[in-house]
Parts: sequence; structure tokens; C-alpha cells
Amino acid sequence: MRVGCLLLPDLPLAAELRAHRELVGLPCAVATGQDARAELISVSPEALRQGVRRGIGVSHARMLCSDLQLRVASPALWQATREALLDAALACTPRAELAPEASGFFAVEAAVHLDASGSERLFHSEAGLASALCARAEALELPANVAIACSRDVSRLVARQLPRSGGHSRVLRPGEEGGFLAPLPVDLLDAEDTLAQALTRFGVQTLSDLLALPTQSLATRLGPEILEWMERLRGTREEVPLASPVDHRLVEAIDLDFALDRLQPLLFVIQGLLSRLLARLEARQLGCGEFSITLDLADGERDTRRVGVAAPTRDLRVLVGLAGRALEAHSLRAPVEALRIETEGSRVGFDQLDLFRPAGPAPALLGETLAALENLCGDQRVGSPVVADTHHPDAFDMQAFRTHSTELAGEVRDAPTSAGPLASRALRPPVPARVRLRGHRPIWVASSVIQGDVLHCAGPWRTTGGWWSPEERFAFDCYDVQTSDGGVARLRFDHLRRCWQIDALYD
Amino acid sequence: MIDSEKKAKIGRVPPVPRPPTGPTRLPAKGRKSAPAPAQGRTQAIEALLGELGSQLRRGHQHAHCPAPTLPTGLPSIDALVGGGLPGGKLCEIVGPASSGRTSLGLGLLAQATRAGEWVALVDEADAFDPASANTAGVVLPRVLWARPPDTPRALRCCQRLLDAGGFALVIWDAAGRSHRQALPAANWQKLARSAASAGTSLVVLSEQRLAGHCSELALELKRARAHFTGSAGAPSLLEGLEVVAAILRQRSGSHGTSASARLGRHPTTA
Repeated sequence: MRVGCLLLPDLPLAAELRAHRELVGLPCAVATGQDARAELISVSPEALRQGVRRGIGVSHARMLCSDLQLRVASPALWQATREALLDAALACTPRAELAPEASGFFAVEAAVHLDASGSERLFHSEAGLASALCARAEALELPANVAIACSRDVSRLVARQLPRSGGHSRVLRPGEEGGFLAPLPVDLLDAEDTLAQALTRFGVQTLSDLLALPTQSLATRLGPEILEWMERLRGTREEVPLASPVDHRLVEAIDLDFALDRLQPLLFVIQGLLSRLLARLEARQLGCGEFSITLDLADGERDTRRVGVAAPTRDLRVLVGLAGRALEAHSLRAPVEALRIETEGSRVGFDQLDLFRPAGPAPALLGETLAALENLCGDQRVGSPVVADTHHPDAFDMQAFRTHSTELAGEVRDAPTSAGPLASRALRPPVPARVRLRGHRPIWVASSVIQGDVLHCAGPWRTTGGWWSPEERFAFDCYDVQTSDGGVARLRFDHLRRCWQIDALYD
Repeated sequence: MIDSEKKAKIGRVPPVPRPPTGPTRLPAKGRKSAPAPAQGRTQAIEALLGELGSQLRRGHQHAHCPAPTLPTGLPSIDALVGGGLPGGKLCEIVGPASSGRTSLGLGLLAQATRAGEWVALVDEADAFDPASANTAGVVLPRVLWARPPDTPRALRCCQRLLDAGGFALVIWDAAGRSHRQALPAANWQKLARSAASAGTSLVVLSEQRLAGHCSELALELKRARAHFTGSAGAPSLLEGLEVVAAILRQRSGSHGTSASARLGRHPTTA
């Protein structure tokens, strides 16, 4: 089995530079907090040149570099960057997984393991795959290194050896592992503190020193964990196959430096989040369908807005417009401190024009139009009508409006071909009426829609249903009546409420 | 400064004489004069035309292309308005309750959706009955149904739909709503322009005319009588309505003044 490792050596810095492109090229550092005693956990090369080092305090760093751009570590941003790294890998291979987080010195790195077996057909060689991975990561603003070897651990060790600036790759052919690993320092193993101290006491400095020691004696002194490490380094350990990720859920999040309470600055931040999300979706050949915006408010509450998209799209302008409408619909209760956008990638629909059928609305534009209509009309008031599966005269249903013509082909053919049928207009809610009866038949009706003597009357037709539920139960006697003012309406007597109503006009 | 100097120099350059073109152009020195290819092509075209003979006709300079229309499904009304409601225009269908406005609107929806078109219904009156539309032959999945709560929002919905494009027909059902304050003419002009640029027909259903001079066609419907089966005392059934349609306004070409139509309760009686 051949395994690749896509390694981001400095996750905090990469995450900040990915979210704030204006910091590229400036002396920049990421600290654990905002106070003066907070420590730096990541430093840009520009800041390194001015003497700023990882592990020093913020006040010390400011003394060394007066124009240092300081950012506070954001776990939400880190997680989004880790997932973006996974997306870069999934653009080139179907099987990839996030590597477990390291500890100690390597705690700031992020890694993805991917299946490199059989990639020659697509990329001509493993070196081609490594170059493609580097390019994909660079497209997502991630300076990552790539290594391909026989196992997860070896590939990660190789990737750690590459320059930290990113964009480098190395392929270890089968059999080359021993020669490559031998001179590497044992610190690269990222072993636990007790194990690392014991190895130091034994005088073990390189991996070749470690592999030269007798296995049984070492296990007796250092425990079974060292055996596992030696198996991994020798390549004798069975590699667990990598699985294809089944979840297409993508998340982009950001913690704001200052709370925002106005729409325009908020939309500016959302635009950045969406553009990064779209880059990730593009890497996976997916589009953005329905997405949700979660706002962490200053009062501790959380506000979530769901944004419907009629058709999956990668058009940033459309998505920002939809997000703006979703935020406009209800005002914010408190300033926003953090944002999170979540979506499930969907396959992008393309306009398949037909020579014999009229072209419908463009899917991307339709999504924005539907969102605007829903904004104007309210929830559940825009869609495609559906005949409800009930005999209740007032019942109707709606479903999401979709323009997938292939699904409609059969229904168009099966449509009735009659012309000039008499239609009815529903009255919602039904209009109350006063009725005079003679021999159980209405002879006079007064209401806001029709009024006068009943000239013609047909019925009654009894309609009942929902008897199994007190809320859904109904029982009507319906009549078709024409009154002296010329109106033709459907009059009904509600047996449950004991009242007369007009629920439809024939028009 | 440099540009102006350059322009001045260019202006003083004498014009380059153009080489002679067409039949007066002489062959270059040393070349043989080959037969002109254009001449052979002309002869071939002449021969082809002679072979086709009477199968070909010369097109008229002002050839008339019939404008697209939206049929209503009622032959008598289609004949009255010249084959159907004009495409890409603002039309009005007015009349009192039970005069057949909704039936005519559903007929338009049915004809358009069965032809594979996408349509939209701005149902300000909230009176659309999906079951009735289904019986009328409307392909419901091809209908975008919006239910705005008031007139200003209904107007904005119509504008949005026309701007989106891709819909062959947008019906604004404003019947049954009180329009105490008429919309300004500028709104109707904007709607008419948007409809024309999108190629979408906008049909307004109401009790009275609203769009004024902006409408291409205004059709008034009046109720004539309702047909009930059965005699007095016997069980009866509503069979249908008889309505009369009259043209109040038609910008392009009049095909008549009025026509009657029968609307059946059941498809077989239409």
C-alpha cells in the first residue's frame, strides 16, 4: 500500500493567512490570547527575521518587532483549515482522512493521509500526484508539503523533514525507507515525554540507533509502546486501508475581533467565508445548496438562519445576496461575535438546453429570485402547488419549486387535454354566511361575496373525514348555489361548528 | 504634447492610393490570367436556381412574422383576440365574480404548462385552488406559486419574476382585493417594459382595469347564465357557466368586439 501525507507545518499561521490575505508578507504572529502574558504559538518568516520566536510572550515580541501583526488563536479557523486540507486531498484521490492531531512541538501541524495506490494512471507517477496535491493545496491558500511512502507514519516523518515554507514534495520508493529514515533524529517520532527522556538517557539520537537496539530488551525496559513504533518504522505493521469520506458537510467559521451589529460589515465577513467555502466545494467538484449561517451573539445566544438555494451553485454573488436576504428578514438581537457557515455539498446542475422545449429560468438566478419572493411573501408562501391527499375542501399543499425538466416529462404527457373547464376560487378563510332554509334547502344567502335569493341550488354533498383526530375532524354539507346577484358559489354547512360558510366561488 | 505633434504629422501625410478592385484590376506582371473563381460560382448558383425552378420564391422585404401568442384554450375567445393573448405584453382580464376570470387564467396556465413552459402565479387574492387547477389541466410542478400579503409586495413579486426571466407567463391575480389607491402609472410602465424585455406575458386578473394605457389588451368578462341540470324538485347539478367576453382595449389589430364561451364544471362538458 502507498500512502501520501499532505502536511501543513504551521496550522495557526496558515489558518490566519487564509482568512486574512492582507497579512501575507507582513510580520505576523499568532498568540494564545490578547493579554501581554500570552505566548506566541506561531510566527511568520518575516517576524522570525526580526527576532520574534515561538514561545515568547506578546510584550516581548512587541519589543522585538514594533509593527508585529498579532492574531489570537481561533480554533474554529483551525478546524476549517484542517477540513480545507482534506478537501485538497479529496480533489486528487477518493480515499483520504484527517490524521490524528500531534502533540508537543508538532501540535501546530495539520496532516491528511491519502491513498496513493494506483495513481499512476491519472497522474503518470507518484511525483505527479504529489505535484497535483501541492497545487491543489496552494489553490486553497494552504502552504502544504507532500510526501508519499509505504505507510502513514513514514510518510508523515518524510513530510516533517521538508522545508516549512510549503509547496515541497518527496516520494520514497519501496525499499528506500530504511536509508532515508536512518539519519533522522528520534525527536521526529513525537513520542511521549517519558519515552523521549528514556531514549535520551540510552543515548539514542537517530532512528537508526533506535532500530539497532534489541527489540525484546527494549520492550522490557520501555514498555510495549516502543515495539509499536519500531514496527511502524520497519514497515512491518499492517496498514489499515483508508476509507472514502461519506459526509459532504463543509463548515467555514471565524471568530471576530470586534462584535458587529450592522448588516454591511457582516455581509463583508460572510462574503469571505463563502468564497473560501466555494473554493473548497470547487476542489471537490460540488456546488453550494442550502446552507445555514450560525451567529454567536454577544448576549450568549445563538441565532441560526437557514438559506434555501433553489439549485446548487458556485456563484458567490448569488449566495451573498441570499445570505443578505436571510439576515434582513429578522433583525439581530445583539452584536455578532462569531460566524459559522455550514453546507452540504451538492452536485452542480447545469443548464441542459433542449431544441424542442422552451428554456426555463436559469438555476442560479432562480435561487436568488425564490429567496427574494420568500422574503416578500413570508415563510411557506412560495413554492409549487400540490393537490393535498385529503377530501377536506380547504386543503392544499406546497413543495419547493424545482426546474428539473426530466422529472416532469411524464407528468406533462399525462396531463388532461380538456379545454375550458369551470374553475373555482378558494376563499381563505371561508366567508361566514347567513342562510334561510325551506325544507332543508337554502333559499336566501347573505354574505360579503354573494347575496340574494337562491335561484338554483344543487346538493347537498356530504364530505366527512379526519374522524380519528379531534383536530382534523370535519363534516360538511356542500351546495352549489346561484344567487339573484349573479354569483355562483359553493355554500357549506359545518356540522361541527353548526354554521354556514362560503368556501369557494365558481369563476 | 507628443500626441498632438504626431497627429499633426499624420495629418500631413498624403493619402495612399488604393489599388483598383473588381473587374478593372489588372493581373500582376508575369502571372497568367486565371479564370475568376467568382464567375464559376455564379454560374453554379444560376444552374442550381434553374434546376430548383418553382420550388424557390423570393422573400418579401417586409416579411410578416406572426407574434407569439398564448392560447387560452377557449376557441371563441382565442379567435376574438387573434389566436391568444399577445406574448411578452401586459394584458388585463377584468370582470365581476363568477364571470370566468379564474377559468380563463387557469386555461392560460394549462396551455402554457402543457407546452413545456414555466409559469408563475402571483396570488395576491390567495384564491388559487390546486385541485381545480389540476382538473383544468395545469401541470402543477411547472407553476411557481407566490402568495404575497398585499398589493405593493405583489407588485415587487411580479417585477422580480419578470427580471428573473425564463417564465413564459406571469399571472397576477388581484381579483377580490380592494384597490382603493391605484398604483402609479409608472409602475405599470415598468412592468410592461420588463415583460417586453423578458418576453414574458403578464396577465392581471381583477374586477376593474388597473394598468390603463400600459396594457396591450384588456378583456372584459361578463356572466351570462349558469347552467344547472334537473328540474325543480329533482336532484340537480351545476354544469357550467356561460360568459361573454368583450374587448375593452387592443393595441394591435382588432378581430372582433365580443364572443361567448361555455365553461364546463367537468372536462367532458366543456
